[in-house]
Amino acid sequence: MGDIEQDNSERADGENNKADKLFTLKKWNAVAMWSWDVECDTCAICRVQVMDACLRCQAESKKDFYEKQDCVVVWGECNHSFHYCCMSLWVKQNNRCPLCQQEWSIQRMGK
Amino acid sequence: MITLRGKLKKDPDVSNSKSQNIPSKRVSIRDKLLIKEAQEMEQTLPMTCQVTFNDPHCLYEFTLLIIPDEGYWCGGHFYFQINVPEEYNMIPPRVKCLTKLWHPNISEEGDVCLSILRQNSVDGMGWAPTRKLKDVVWGLSSLFTDLLNFDDPLNREAADLFSKDKELFGIKVKEYLIQFAKR
Repeated sequence: MGDIEQDNSERADGENNKADKLFTLKKWNAVAMWSWDVECDTCAICRVQVMDACLRCQAESKKDFYEKQDCVVVWGECNHSFHYCCMSLWVKQNNRCPLCQQEWSIQRMGK
Repeated sequence: MITLRGKLKKDPDVSNSKSQNIPSKRVSIRDKLLIKEAQEMEQTLPMTCQVTFNDPHCLYEFTLLIIPDEGYWCGGHFYFQINVPEEYNMIPPRVKCLTKLWHPNISEEGDVCLSILRQNSVDGMGWAPTRKLKDVVWGLSSLFTDLLNFDDPLNREAADLFSKDKELFGIKVKEYLIQFAKR
């Protein structure tokens, strides 16, 4: 934006010293959006938000805050994320990411 | 909407007495998943399909009726029994075709060959816990159209007949249809 304006004014200056600017930017508002740096924020296995405890941990009446903290998120090399509980059950029978079918290997774990 | 969790929250006595009496009993993950999936399945049902729950309290057992509107099996009434095992969604639903038919991917005994219903597959085409009931219904209905596959048959005789004489194959399909799949 700034460049274009400058180009115009320079050219105008060269051609005609008293040429009016096409427009002047007086005010602008920056808008930002954010999202988690993962493909999706819902665990595709149990369909609960990865940042919440998984369906199994919720069902097993882990009412205690610290118990729920145990249910961590796991990211694969493919950048897909699941609950660690959900994924460890699945890889027992098929060591692939259920979303992209790539060989599953853990990139990181945590919250 | 009435949910189990909401009901338990409203009535703490129920949840307390339950957990005290049978502390080891796990809440079924399958049943929790099926509440959403059964609803989604019914909302996205293909035009050719009808679902009947034999017992409205058992979401894990139902009958699927497919009436294909094109292809060799057009107009036939094909019933499938679908059972969702306790270990769902780590393992796929079990499907049995209740209607006798002449089809390369469904045996006369009712076994169904559909990639997403395979529990153990090395090619990545088999079951995955990301799949849902609606995918199974769409897969089964597509066996009569897009997913019809003569190259890897369960009913070899049917596939062989097709490769030898397509007209005769069509006639045999219709014979079965008239005899077993009129209603």
